[in-house]
Amino acid sequence: MDALTTTGLTKRYGHRELPVHRPGASRGGSEVRALEDLSIAVHEGEIFGFLGPNGAGKSTTIRLLLGYLHPTAGSASVLGLDVVRDSVAIRSRVGYLPGGIALYDSLSGERLLDYLGELTGRPSVRRAELLERLELSARTLRRPVRDYSRGMRQKIGIIQALQHDPELAILDEPTEGLDPLMQRAFYAILDDLKAAGRTIFFSSHVLSEVERVCDRVAIVRRGRLVALEDVTSLLEHRKRNVELRAADGDLPKLDGVAGVSGLGRTVDGRLTCQLEGDVGPFLAAIAGHRISDLTIEPAHLEEAFLELYEDAEPEDDDLPALAAAGGAGVAQ
Amino acid sequence: MNLVLFGHLWRSQRTKLVIVCVAMLAWSSFLPVIYKSFGSQMKALVDSGIIPKQLTNFGGADVFSLPGAIAVGYIHPIAIILTSIFAIGFSASAIAGERQRGTLEVLLARPISRRRVYVTLLAATLFFIGLILLAAILGTLLGSAIVGVGGELVVERLPLLWINGMLLWGSIAAIGLAASVSFDRLTPALGVTLAIVVVSYFVYVLASLWPDAKGLEPYSIFHYLASRDILNGIVDAAGLLLLAAVGAIAIVMALVVFPRRDLAAPS
Repeated sequence: MDALTTTGLTKRYGHRELPVHRPGASRGGSEVRALEDLSIAVHEGEIFGFLGPNGAGKSTTIRLLLGYLHPTAGSASVLGLDVVRDSVAIRSRVGYLPGGIALYDSLSGERLLDYLGELTGRPSVRRAELLERLELSARTLRRPVRDYSRGMRQKIGIIQALQHDPELAILDEPTEGLDPLMQRAFYAILDDLKAAGRTIFFSSHVLSEVERVCDRVAIVRRGRLVALEDVTSLLEHRKRNVELRAADGDLPKLDGVAGVSGLGRTVDGRLTCQLEGDVGPFLAAIAGHRISDLTIEPAHLEEAFLELYEDAEPEDDDLPALAAAGGAGVAQ
Repeated sequence: MNLVLFGHLWRSQRTKLVIVCVAMLAWSSFLPVIYKSFGSQMKALVDSGIIPKQLTNFGGADVFSLPGAIAVGYIHPIAIILTSIFAIGFSASAIAGERQRGTLEVLLARPISRRRVYVTLLAATLFFIGLILLAAILGTLLGSAIVGVGGELVVERLPLLWINGMLLWGSIAAIGLAASVSFDRLTPALGVTLAIVVVSYFVYVLASLWPDAKGLEPYSIFHYLASRDILNGIVDAAGLLLLAAVGAIAIVMALVVFPRRDLAAPS
């Protein structure tokens, strides 16, 4: 069963209702197309990555799903409920972490979590565990939120979204402001939620992060879906970069070996090539040679996407934004 | 209405509310003192022609009688400012302020409809204003008792005076909330509400002091705060209905606009 589906979901703003500066949104006359004909299905129990550069339509999609925005066309359902008609019922079963979350500064962390938990109307069954794993002490929680660092605010944001153990968590840039240790703790939390059958819709502009946690990933650009892939199969089909050195200088002959391409030799005598699919034929070909060093670089999602979509039409300036955010471009 | 949200609003505003209520109580208890101390002298001065009679018409009232002195106090800028802290400041910032700070995001992520959020905010605003006006009535009673003029007040008429105040300030608060749900930032919401109230007050004062502008007075919402008439036993039902209609229009507008608005990500 699908936890979340969208069918032709579209959001356009008229000239007079432009919400904010949207660098990636397409303009058509006086109209801005923030999201165009988005059709995706997120399966129950999976971690779904929703990827794209700033302004690509990620937050617009999330806001449509939660009823902050009204669709111009198309439809969407969350946990089997219509996002327009049943918005309140959806929000009782969903946990949401907004991007760049703002909190009530005058409240203490504890009071804030109590307040938001009471508003949700469901017991905060996961709060103690989340506090422990994200290393927020009782002493810290007694301090007003205004004294918190950005990372601590983000931790509170994550806890308020997950403390009531929602069936679906919608997380917009959840690791923003977290240090690497806390990011790792957060990924472990996501793994546990997945193991417990929860669904996670995870928006990010950092490819490596999506690669680390997601089962499937959709990429949006300029308000349009440009890719929807299974991360594992995507990585399996990616060409790995291989580099080897022979101790006696006698390099193996790899011409014609299945899966091997792009053969080359460096100035210091190392052999380089690209390897795709099954590594068996490659290993058989180098067997019997005295290999002193062998490197097979693991597949990275950004490269996989670059390979898959390298023929895509080069159309905009969003790739630099993506690369600057920690990943490479996804197409071109 | 959502009681959790109401409780949060109460906790966040109660200190400010207590201060405003105490200030209002002090101010309104001062009015019978002014009447007792200066009422007859003022009347003698006006009768002698030293002070132009028109100047004593400020706020459609006078200090020569206890109802008149009380009415002056209720329309005086001090009372207006004290009540406006909640009727304008709180109402205009209720949604637009949260939107500007970004905290509306976490509130609307909970299973509460926008209509319910609005109704709760409206109820909280009216509750706060009700307490401030109650403090004004109590102050009036207290001041009258202290200076020994309590006998000149018909206590049974005070609840209607409170209702009249509630209709005026409730309408203003409803306008503030309607502005608040219509804008993404506090400044325009506050600006629109303040502009309506300030212009209305200016027209009222001008019309009460300048005979040639007297015809403008019914166009001011403050014209319908008929404190002196009510304390003298005269009830303008049409005026009360008009105030209720203004508030109802603002409430309906907000209930239509807010749920239909697109709330884009805060910039």
